Amino acid sequence: MEIAPEEKLDRVYDLKLLKWVWSYVRPYRGLFFLSVVLMPLNSLFALAQPYIWKLTIDLFLTHNRAVPPGWLRPVLGAFGPHGLLAMGFVYLLLVAGEFSTFYGQFYLTMMVAQYSLSDLRMALFKHVERLPMSFFDRTPTGRLVSRMTTDIDAINEMFSAGSLTILIDVLTMLGIVAIMFAFNARLAMWAMCAVPPLLLILNFFGHRARVIYREIRERLAALNAYMAEALAGMAVIQLFTRERRSRQEFDALNVTNRDAQMIANVYEAGVFSSVEALSSATIGIILWAGGGEVIRRLITLGTLVAFIDYAQKFFLPLRDISSKYTTLQSALAAMERIEALMETPASITSPAAPRRPSTLRGGIIFDRVGFAYRKGEPVLRDLSFTVEPGRKIAIVGATGSGKSTIIKLLTRFYDVSAGRILVDGVDVREWDLTALRRAIGLVQQDVFLFAGDVFDNVRLARTELGEAEVREALRRAQALDFVERLPSGLHEEIRERGANLSSGQRQLLSFARALAYDPRVLVMDEATSSVDSETESLVQRALNELLKYRTALVIAHRLSTIERADRILVLSQGALRESGTHAELLAGRGLYHRLFELQYAAAAEPTGQAAD
Amino acid sequence: MKRLLGYVRPYWHRYALATLCTLATVTLGMVLPYLTGKAIDSIQAHNSRRLTLLAGEIFAAALLMGVVRWFSRFMFFNCGRDVEYCLRNDLFTHLTLLDRSFYERQKTGDLMSRMINDLSAVRMMVGMGALTFANTPIVYIYALTFMFAKQWRLTFVSLVPFVILFFAIRRLTHSLMERSLRVQEELGAIGAKVQESLSGIHVVKAYTLHEREAEEFRRRNDSYNEQGLALARLRGAMMPLIRGTYATSMMTVLVYGSYLVTQHGMSIGGLVAFMGYLAQLMWPTTALGWVISIYQRGRASMKRLEDIFLAAATPSIEGGGDMRLEVAGAIEWEHVWFSYFAHEGIQSGKNGRDVRYALRDVSVKIAAGEKLAIVGRTGAGKSTMVKLLTRLVEPTAGRVTLDGRDLRDLSLGALRKTVGMVPQEPTLFSDTMARNIAFGRADASLDEIARAARVAGLEADIAVLPQGLATIVGERGMSLSGGQKQRVTIARTLVYDPAVVVLDDALSSVDTETERGVLDSLVESVRGHTTVVVSHRASTVRDADHIIVLEDGEIAERGTHGELMAQRGIYAELFHRQLVEEELARY
Repeated sequence: MEIAPEEKLDRVYDLKLLKWVWSYVRPYRGLFFLSVVLMPLNSLFALAQPYIWKLTIDLFLTHNRAVPPGWLRPVLGAFGPHGLLAMGFVYLLLVAGEFSTFYGQFYLTMMVAQYSLSDLRMALFKHVERLPMSFFDRTPTGRLVSRMTTDIDAINEMFSAGSLTILIDVLTMLGIVAIMFAFNARLAMWAMCAVPPLLLILNFFGHRARVIYREIRERLAALNAYMAEALAGMAVIQLFTRERRSRQEFDALNVTNRDAQMIANVYEAGVFSSVEALSSATIGIILWAGGGEVIRRLITLGTLVAFIDYAQKFFLPLRDISSKYTTLQSALAAMERIEALMETPASITSPAAPRRPSTLRGGIIFDRVGFAYRKGEPVLRDLSFTVEPGRKIAIVGATGSGKSTIIKLLTRFYDVSAGRILVDGVDVREWDLTALRRAIGLVQQDVFLFAGDVFDNVRLARTELGEAEVREALRRAQALDFVERLPSGLHEEIRERGANLSSGQRQLLSFARALAYDPRVLVMDEATSSVDSETESLVQRALNELLKYRTALVIAHRLSTIERADRILVLSQGALRESGTHAELLAGRGLYHRLFELQYAAAAEPTGQAAD
Repeated sequence: MKRLLGYVRPYWHRYALATLCTLATVTLGMVLPYLTGKAIDSIQAHNSRRLTLLAGEIFAAALLMGVVRWFSRFMFFNCGRDVEYCLRNDLFTHLTLLDRSFYERQKTGDLMSRMINDLSAVRMMVGMGALTFANTPIVYIYALTFMFAKQWRLTFVSLVPFVILFFAIRRLTHSLMERSLRVQEELGAIGAKVQESLSGIHVVKAYTLHEREAEEFRRRNDSYNEQGLALARLRGAMMPLIRGTYATSMMTVLVYGSYLVTQHGMSIGGLVAFMGYLAQLMWPTTALGWVISIYQRGRASMKRLEDIFLAAATPSIEGGGDMRLEVAGAIEWEHVWFSYFAHEGIQSGKNGRDVRYALRDVSVKIAAGEKLAIVGRTGAGKSTMVKLLTRLVEPTAGRVTLDGRDLRDLSLGALRKTVGMVPQEPTLFSDTMARNIAFGRADASLDEIARAARVAGLEADIAVLPQGLATIVGERGMSLSGGQKQRVTIARTLVYDPAVVVLDDALSSVDTETERGVLDSLVESVRGHTTVVVSHRASTVRDADHIIVLEDGEIAERGTHGELMAQRGIYAELFHRQLVEEELARY
């Protein structure tokens, strides 16, 4: 009794989910309703067939011929002495009708499913793209991939194999019962007497099958997850000579999976066989109960044969009703997961009425900015600084001092926890998000290259740029030389994440990308990994080109970059410790001074001992 | 396929029993129409007693058929599951024996798809495929015998559509499988696009590529859609084709059979029985067309699995003991060359140098109990050098020795019990923190685990975990930061307690201060053991007995800290850069 309310709640939730799916089906409701209309037609065509058998037997075969019904007479008349051919003709028409309606119904349903699920997938992708960075920090990409592939596929499966055909089945079964009762109520009762025990059996097996299928899903997931982890971490397994234990663990998972699958097979075979058996046994019952009636001329032989045929048709759909239910269940589970993802709010969005600065100049103000990725662990504290348009700022600090967070806040990957950030006098939260990000160019340490050619990877979303402009950007980024040396030049396909390029070349491409976008403000995380000296000088030249005429905020790792900056911010543990020009900071004899001395000592003094 | 037979053979008696059950099922299935025909004839003959008897026989035969069908079905399916189970275990075992060169070539995703999709295709072949394979000929022999005995002309006429059906199904299932594969590929492409867009989500956001990415996604989505509908067109045709053929055949029976009844004295019961036989033929004929496709697919899949089995397990992990060796710990690299492309043949690069060598003529010797540090830029060959120590890779030329013995002469299991390496990329498994730390030694006590965690500087991190050491971490548990993961792998090696400790830049994700702290306590706890430390930070390894600087796969500088600083070369530069960073961190 205690489970009841929860079950009921589940039902309500299922309804809510179906309603949600309906919102995607709605645009195609015309097709959908057409397919629904075809369903009863399909049942009708199927159910009329045994009736033709009955008529043939009663009209042509038995000793005491019956009188043909009114509608059949013109047809029989047309065929003259070949009455049997007429029956064959009508039968063929019914068969053709059944299959065309079936095909139409199936294809229309699949059209609706494909179209609406395609819309759903598109909507999901667009939604996920706009979710805040904090969401991606805690959600593995693999999980999002399966939402958009396997989960949506599970819903598709419901359309193609499950739920809607259940409706046809139920209609057909109801039709059969109605027809049998119309023919002869007593015999109909006998024909149906195998149904109650069958329902008991189905319930027995079906319930257990559902439980075991749920278990199988879990065990299979555990098995596959273990396998994926082991394959990815095989080096560690081998290094720690864990092979034998890993095999034992894998075997244990493999065994439980197999055992569950085997039990499921027993149930599945049980359902299948009992439906077949009881459907055949019904033939015996009908013959026994109806045969006497035929002899006593209460019903015709044709009716009896039709009864046998109808009874067989009645049992047929019950064979796979259990598997259809399973499909439906997994579709519902998938819907639930997808819906939850769709409900995740895109917390960082453009305001309803964005403000635009009168002119785009590139001034930046950090005003008492505080930020924490996790509550109670502040990364930036009360940070204030101003960057005049066109100035170059170098940010210096150790790993974890909050340098890269500054960049992430400026581009609104995250929103500040306290204070505000102004770009050209307007709070970044009031900017149109696209306009803000177009105004601020970002060059990161690890260069992300998309599948595609060099050309597309440089111009990215600026598809209005032609080859000439992209070439110019590459030239200014000092990348044109090496790009032109590639076998297909500008249209060289970039292999998986740029495996066919060196890290220096990838860096230059990212500069070209920023140059092609020509942003007012450039924020950059200078790469720490050293490249060979040849590329190093190219990078330096490209960097000069890149920083020209722009406001720049550079997380600097190279002294040369730091020295050239208009102002240097020295950051430590999320707070600003020193700031000023190179000369001012040296004169201040603070942290920066010590840093510089260390560097200078390395460059000028011949004895390495000086550093000790 | 020969290999597969080896997996099927142990279950031959179960297959035989299942086939027997199938034989019984089919026999009873054939008796039913026969009895039905007789019953109808007895109705025509007004013989109620005979009718009742026949009806009873039908009833009994039907129930009996249910039981034997049950057995035949699940026995065949379960044989399939058993074969799958054994095959999966053996595949996994073989995979644990394969070395790095295999895993460098093979993507995990592809391996997973073989272990899941191909394996299930093979299972289908030896399970459901075997059932259909046993079932069909029996049904045909029976049905044809009965039908010919009853009325040979009607048999010929009614079977014509079935011959057509068989060939039509063959073609249809063939295109169906091809289409499904294409749909699967399209779905894979969608997944790959999502994977790409979301891995680069920072670029997507920074360069406002939402529309561009959505457009690309739409292209793939549309093409998937198209393929999906094409598949639906085929799938939708399947059912009408089968039932249509059957119905056409029925119609011939209806017309021609009725003609035979009226003109040639065939009984109505005989006609009904004939219909029954035809009905029995419908599914086996369909299934035969289908089972051939299952067989083709299964064979192709088995070939893909065979590829895994054929990948040679070199060096062999099996064989030889895996007891820890009693070694002093002297190590020497003797003129070691290494290329990841050795199997492809080395090509000469510019300046006539072979650009694809990761190590060129490296010779280093350290005495037992000494500490060697390897520094250098990214890609200089540091990792490769230490991977040779655990034989994750083998030298292309030259040799590596432990106590003067070539590593290749030692049993691999024993070597890896003796030389413990902390790899660069920390790998955690979805298990408890404690079991992750005790990964290499299941018998480690909780005390040992806690001590290792303390040395690795993990105490405070574990204290804040919800269930402490019992907290599940990894992909399916709590996620840890890069630095925490690295320290877990250090603790793992400490529990493993090898004679030689190798750290492959194992603390790159923690700050310098922490790295030094962990390294200090680590060195303290493994005092007397030979230690090899790779680091991109010069300052953390300054007290090593030997320091070598690798540059482009060659030893550019070597000596102690003092000697190297005096050289004012790469090491000195690295060291100073490090000092700057440290200074900042200390503030």
